[in-house]
Amino acid sequence: MISGAELLVGSLLLGAAALYFLRRFEGLTALLAAGVALGLALLVSLLPLDAPAEVAGRTVWLGKAVVWEGLTLQIGPAPQTLLAFLLMVAAAAFVLAWLTYQGRTFYPFGLVLLAAWAVAAMLRPLILAPFALVLGAIVSVFLIQAGKVGDTRGAWRQLLFPTLAAPLFLLAQWYIEQAPLNPDDQTPLVIAGWLLVAGFVLLLQPAPLHVATSSLAGQSPAIVAAFLWIGGQSTVLFLLQRFLVTYPWLTSAIDSARWLLWLGIFTAVLAGALAATQPTLGRFLGYAGLYDYGVLLVAMALRGTAGLPTAIWLALTRVFALFTVATGVAIIRHRMESDRLERLHGALSRMPVAVTALIAGGLALGGLPLTAQFASRWALLQLLGENDPRWVFLLLLAATGVLIGAVRAGYACFGRLTYARVERESFLVALAALLLVAAGVILGLYPQLLTSPVAAAILPLSTLGP
Amino acid sequence: MTLADLFRQLSILVGLPAVLIAAGAAAALVIVRDWRIVLLAYATLSVMLALLLSQVIPIEWALIHAIAAGLTAVIFYLSARQLRWHPASGVRWEDRWPQVASLTLFRGLTVGLAAVAFLFVHEQVELPRVEPLFRDLILWLILVGLLGLALHEEPLHAGLALLTVLGGAQLLLLTLEPQRMWIGLMEGGQILLGLAIAYLMLARGLVAARPRAMTPSSSAGELDDFWR
Repeated sequence: MISGAELLVGSLLLGAAALYFLRRFEGLTALLAAGVALGLALLVSLLPLDAPAEVAGRTVWLGKAVVWEGLTLQIGPAPQTLLAFLLMVAAAAFVLAWLTYQGRTFYPFGLVLLAAWAVAAMLRPLILAPFALVLGAIVSVFLIQAGKVGDTRGAWRQLLFPTLAAPLFLLAQWYIEQAPLNPDDQTPLVIAGWLLVAGFVLLLQPAPLHVATSSLAGQSPAIVAAFLWIGGQSTVLFLLQRFLVTYPWLTSAIDSARWLLWLGIFTAVLAGALAATQPTLGRFLGYAGLYDYGVLLVAMALRGTAGLPTAIWLALTRVFALFTVATGVAIIRHRMESDRLERLHGALSRMPVAVTALIAGGLALGGLPLTAQFASRWALLQLLGENDPRWVFLLLLAATGVLIGAVRAGYACFGRLTYARVERESFLVALAALLLVAAGVILGLYPQLLTSPVAAAILPLSTLGP
Repeated sequence: MTLADLFRQLSILVGLPAVLIAAGAAAALVIVRDWRIVLLAYATLSVMLALLLSQVIPIEWALIHAIAAGLTAVIFYLSARQLRWHPASGVRWEDRWPQVASLTLFRGLTVGLAAVAFLFVHEQVELPRVEPLFRDLILWLILVGLLGLALHEEPLHAGLALLTVLGGAQLLLLTLEPQRMWIGLMEGGQILLGLAIAYLMLARGLVAARPRAMTPSSSAGELDDFWR
C-alpha cells in the first residue's frame, strides 16, 4: 500500500528527474510538468484521507503516515488543502511559463521545489519543518539564477533568510522542552516565543527584510518570481498558522498578532510607496506583490476575529492578480527585450492584450473594484476598521501607490514604437493573458464563486494540530 | 591509530587554543580578500569546531562535522580554481576575482570595532548550560558571521560568513542537546548550502574572471549548459 506522502513526494522527485533529461523539448517538458502537478492535485483533492482507495490498480491511502527516525510525513486535512492549492498553482505556472519563455530549468526544479514545500507542510515534529523550507530555498537558487552569469543578489537573498531562521526554531524547541520542568517559571516560554517570532520574521521576510523580493522581481523571470512568492509565502503562512494553533501560549506570551499587524502595515505602506516610483516593470511587479503580501499579513494578524477566512480569500485571489500582471510583464519583457519604462513606447500597438494584463493585474493588486482582489480587500478593510480606522487609511494610501505604479507602467506602453522589429504577441499567449484578465473580472463581479473553496479550507486550517 | 587516539593527541588544542584559533580564522574570513587564504581559514575554523564539538558530542559525530566541512571546502576550492586570476585572461590584477565592495583596511577596522563591542558585552550574555569559553566563541562566530554578511555581497565571502554563523549556532545547539537528527540535518544542509554557494560563486565570478567571453552577443553569457 502506498501512502499519500510517498506518492506525492516520490512522484514529484521522479517527475523532476525525468523532466530534467527532456528539458530541451520545452513545450513537452512544460506540459508534462503541468500534467504531473494537475494529476497530483486531483489525487490529493479527491482521494479520501481516512481509507485506502484504488488508483490505477494500486492501493493508495492518502492519509497514511510515513515514519522514519522520529520524523513523520502525513497528509492531514489542513496539509491536504495547502497541497491541492500549491499543485494547482504550479500547474498554471508551468503552462504560463512555457507560453512566456521563462527558461527550461523551471519545470524540473519547480517540481523539486514543490516537493520541498510539500514536506514542509506535512512534516512532524513541526519544529523541523523550516528545514524543508531551507531545502526549498537551496533549490530556488538554481531556479532563479537559471544559468545566468552576473548579478546573484536575488538568488543569494532568497537563500539567506530561511537559512538564518532554521537554527532559531531548534533553539526555541529546546526552551519549549525546558518549560514543563519548572511550570511556575514562564521565562523559557517567553524566550521560545521571541525566538519563534524572530524565526518567522526571517521566513516571512516582511519589510525591511523584503530585499529578496525586489531583487527577485528585477532579476528572475516574472512567472517564476510570482510562483516563488505565491508558493513560498503561502507555505510559510500555513506554518505560522500551524505554530499558532499548536502553541496557543505563543499568542499571549509575546502578542504575536500585534507584531504581525505592524509588520504587515509597514510592509504594505513601504511597498505601496515604492511601487509608485519604480523604473522597470519587474521591480513594479515586485513591490506591487509585496504590497499585496503586506495586506495578507494584516489579515493573518486578525486571525483571532474573522481574519482567517479573509486571509484564505486573499491568498486565493492574489494568485489571479499576480499571475495576470506577471504574464503581462513576461510577454512585454520578452518582446521588447527590456522592461525599463522609457524603452516600452509603442508596446501597446504590438501587444495590446499583454499591456491590458499588466494594467489589469496592477489594478487588481491595488484592490480596485471589478478586480478579483476587491471583495476580499473590502472585507479586510471593514474588519480592520473595527480595530483601528487609521490602519485602513494607511492601507488605502499605500494602495494608491500601487495604482499609480500600474498607471505609470501602462502609460509607458503607449506612444510610437521606437523599434520596428518588435514582434506581435502570439495567439496562445494573448489567449492566456486574456483568460487571466477575464477570470479576475468575473471574480470581481461574482466573489461568491470562491465561497466554497474558502469555506472548505477554514475548518482544517483553524483546527490543525502539530 | 584509532579515531579516539587521534582526538586524544589533539586534545592539547581543545580549550583556549582552539577557541583562539577559531576566532582568528573567523575574523580572517571576513577581512581577507584572497580566496586561498579565506578557504584555508574556513578549513581551520571547521577543524577547530570539530575539536570543540568532540567535547560535547561523541567523537564520531564531531568527525561528521569535519567531513562535511571538508567536502564543502573542496567544493569551494574546485569552483574557485575555475575563477582564479591568470595573466592570459586579460583581467588586470586589481580586478581579479573575488571582487569585494570594501577595502581590507575598512573590514579590518570593522572587525576590530566588533571585537571591542564583544569584549564589553560578552560577560553579560547568558547562555544556559554553556561554558564561558564556548559562550565566547559562539558569540564571536555569530557576531563576525553577521558582520561578514553585512559587508560582503560576493558569494564566496558571504557564503562563508553564513557558514560561520551556522557554525556558532551548531556549537550552541549541540551543547544544549546533542541529538543525532540535528547533526544529520545540519551537516547535510551544510553540504547542500555549499553546492548552492559554489554555483553562485561561479555565476558571479565568471563575469570578473573572463570578461572578454561574456560580451552580450556571445553565447558564453551563461553558465555551462548543464543548468539550462
